[in-house]
Amino acid sequence: MDFQKLSAREIAAGVKAGKFTAVEAARDAIERIKKYDKKYNSIVTLCEERAMAEAEAIDAAVARGEETGPLAGVPYAVKDNFCTQAIETTCGSKMLKGWLPPYDATAVKNMKEAGAVLVGKANMDEFAMGSTTESSVFGPTLNPRDTGRVPGGSSGGSAAAVAAGFVPIALGSDTGGSVRQPAAFCGVQGMKPSYGQISRYGIVAYASSLDQVGGLTKNIADMALVMEALAKPDDNDTTCDAYERPSFTAAVSGASLAGKKIAVLTGYDRDSIDKPLVEAADRAVEICRAAGAEIIEASLPVTMEHTVACYYMVALGDASSKLACYDGMRYGHHEDGKNLSEMYKRSRMEGFGEEVRRRILVGTCILTRGYYENYFVPATKVRQLISNEFKELFKKADALICPIVPALAYKRGLVEEDPVRMYLGDVFTTMANLAGLPSVSINLGFTPEGLPTCVQMLAPRFGDAELLSCAAVIENAAGAPEPVTEKEGC
Amino acid sequence: MSRNVVIGLEIHLQLKTKTKLFCGCSTDYIGATPNTNVCPICLAVPGSLPVINDHAVDLAVKMGLGLHCDIKDKTRFHRKHYFYADLPKAYQITQYEHAIAQGGYLDIVADGKEKRVHLDHLHLEEDAGKLVHPTSDGRLSGAAYSLVDYNRGGMPLSEIVSMPDMNSPAEAIAYITQIRQLARYLEVSDGEMESGSLRVDVNVSLSNADGSLGTRVELKNINSLKSIERALEYEIARQNRVLDEGGQLVQETRLWDDAAGVTRSMRSKEGARDYRYYAEMDLAPIDAKPDYVEKIRAAMPEMPWDKRARFTEQYGISFEESQQLTEQRETADYFEALVASGAPAVKAANWMRMEVQRILRDAGMEITDFPVAAKELGSLIAKVESRDLSNTQAKDVLGAMYDGGLSLDAALKKCGAAGGRLTAEALCAVISKIFAEQPGAVETIKNGADKKGAKQKFLQGLVMRETRGSADPTEVAKTLAEMLAK
Ligand SMILES: [Zn+2]
Repeated sequence: MDFQKLSAREIAAGVKAGKFTAVEAARDAIERIKKYDKKYNSIVTLCEERAMAEAEAIDAAVARGEETGPLAGVPYAVKDNFCTQAIETTCGSKMLKGWLPPYDATAVKNMKEAGAVLVGKANMDEFAMGSTTESSVFGPTLNPRDTGRVPGGSSGGSAAAVAAGFVPIALGSDTGGSVRQPAAFCGVQGMKPSYGQISRYGIVAYASSLDQVGGLTKNIADMALVMEALAKPDDNDTTCDAYERPSFTAAVSGASLAGKKIAVLTGYDRDSIDKPLVEAADRAVEICRAAGAEIIEASLPVTMEHTVACYYMVALGDASSKLACYDGMRYGHHEDGKNLSEMYKRSRMEGFGEEVRRRILVGTCILTRGYYENYFVPATKVRQLISNEFKELFKKADALICPIVPALAYKRGLVEEDPVRMYLGDVFTTMANLAGLPSVSINLGFTPEGLPTCVQMLAPRFGDAELLSCAAVIENAAGAPEPVTEKEGC
Repeated sequence: MSRNVVIGLEIHLQLKTKTKLFCGCSTDYIGATPNTNVCPICLAVPGSLPVINDHAVDLAVKMGLGLHCDIKDKTRFHRKHYFYADLPKAYQITQYEHAIAQGGYLDIVADGKEKRVHLDHLHLEEDAGKLVHPTSDGRLSGAAYSLVDYNRGGMPLSEIVSMPDMNSPAEAIAYITQIRQLARYLEVSDGEMESGSLRVDVNVSLSNADGSLGTRVELKNINSLKSIERALEYEIARQNRVLDEGGQLVQETRLWDDAAGVTRSMRSKEGARDYRYYAEMDLAPIDAKPDYVEKIRAAMPEMPWDKRARFTEQYGISFEESQQLTEQRETADYFEALVASGAPAVKAANWMRMEVQRILRDAGMEITDFPVAAKELGSLIAKVESRDLSNTQAKDVLGAMYDGGLSLDAALKKCGAAGGRLTAEALCAVISKIFAEQPGAVETIKNGADKKGAKQKFLQGLVMRETRGSADPTEVAKTLAEMLAK
């Protein structure tokens, strides 16, 4: 069986129908990772033992004729900042090297409940800080579409694992685009759901008010399955909303744009965006129009001007707070010191990498008296304005189309020279996190050189099912991206 | 020069919940093996998130209502950052700008005068863990290493911050006592200083001649009411002395050294710490909508001060008696049960303060453990009132009820007081018996030689002893006289 060619839905159906076993699917994924991932470095820890145990349990349930979950026997990978019980969880950092969490993240638990089989932990930028997956303690991940380029970040390992065809599904976390941007760079579908849609319990935090679990998949129908498995209330996360979720799979299967109003973002400099990406956005608009949607133009002046600055104020302030717990005392990297204070300093200095230290320092500064009033407080006000701007927009439109990244996948090493350029690349992604909105990155094919092109679609808060429905229409017209085949990838 | 004393207090009350403020760990940590009441949340394991304990919110609202505060809806938590070994997240989750209960006041009585102490606010926060230093005196200095016990980390606290409205150690003590009483009435906290469920930080300053506030000194580490009083007295004297000598006071935190009876400088406040307070986004705002607050208010018991006022009015007892009887809710309940079973209030109050109190004190017992049912003791007191029993008899009976665990009836039988007061006939029999035993005295009286009546008093005393007080002295005197006259 050529599992690489199958979607998550097809694998689950095959396992249930007895065409093949969950063990075969998991074994195949693991063997391919062992064989081919040396080239990409997308998976940093294989969970072979656990995968076999989970897969055997699924097969046993199928054999007993029991109802198995919608993702029965589907192998998947999670970003290495998801806590996995007794399996090393490092956040790509020396700080957590060797750390074995005592519990599973709720998302991991929910995937297991849906029948999915965890095969590996995916590489990432250290503590999810970065857009290239070059800052990991495990070394960089390479983009399977072009190994001379970065896979994006910070969920670059997750995106690469799907693009390389190792797994049909990978989970990432998205603080300011960390799922959607690597999806765009690697040519897979990526989604950041509404804030409060999926439990954050067990996801090592970057910024509490921005982080959201997201999925990376081969196609939108699989994304709906992931959402169905993960989007539910959780007593362990009070920011995870308790509302009754609609059926995401139903929304995707009946996809239509008739009677829909789709807004197209204007008012940004089209020349500053790589041409294939502008064309991709235009093509997506045409697909929507042809599918019967009414297209309107909309601008978001406050958002476009301030989103990046606002995002970094909020995210870095929060990060300095959330990363304060790594003090070398109870877990994580420890260095001795003459006294408590020196122990903290040395443990944190040596445990954290450069980018993380830079962001903690800036974040700490932002929260310090004086700077707080002059920078952080205004940023929270701007955040509210951005939120309001979207509320107004979504009174007139059901969804918004715009680019997701300003550039095609960067060449490796480019960003190291100029971190500010990397930050500015976040202009189209961060607004969804600041406003708590759902957003998908949808592949629209490849450039002649084989680089993925893509478009972003956003919807109102908790309009995730509608958003997937619109995305499915675009995907149906443009075609879902095929993963790199082993032969090409090797 | 006379200066005014200005005192403000911060009281930390440990809330009586079964689980910690943000996780499901047990709050029953005293005596527990270190680091056994812990979980990913209270240890700040990466990925964990706090979840508010609704019961702790209920208790904070209840206490806030008892203190006449405004309860605010949609209040939230902040993170207070600092690195220390007992704080696993490196921030404490606390309420900062938006405390759940704001304003409010508490009326106290000190030096015989009533006074209103205003409050700034009451807020919720989590406790830190505890450092254990392996030195003989448990202090940090000289310790080669320290151990951390996180069992206390995350315990729910409510911090009550007063305005600087108190002007003497006596007022400060009265305020703390009143807070503790309220907390116990509302079953919000045990309020025990010894176990740390009530902790007090004291701010004290002397006001200048023009009325402006002087330099403020904070006193910490004080573990009993007595120590607070001593620490305040010492500190007031010290500040006066420094100022009298023309010196300057520094704003600082001082620790009370109970053994030496002095306060010592701990750290000066010049380099005020920047805690980088920051909104806790992992927790949604607290819902304390008016109907929820009203529901809690409706279920509140009678406040101690209301009970105290009612007791003096309804039962005609003195303020002091009323205060003693209402100090604990259980004592007041017991007293009212005595009255309900027929004991006159003033007598019942007396019995509570004398006999019951003595037994409890001797046995080192709480009123809740007192084995004599209020209903039975009430009936016993009623019998004294109707002169069916003498006071002495009744005390014996109570003794038998307490020592032997007897019912009222059984105790009456055992003490030979089952029949109650001696009737005229029985009394005559006793008197005849005494006459027979003391023919000489009878003779003297009948001869008219008992000029001063000493012999007759002697006989009367013998009768009283024989009847073990179960006869009415007036009746004894009257019957004795009649029989001698025969
Ligand atoms: Zn706990």
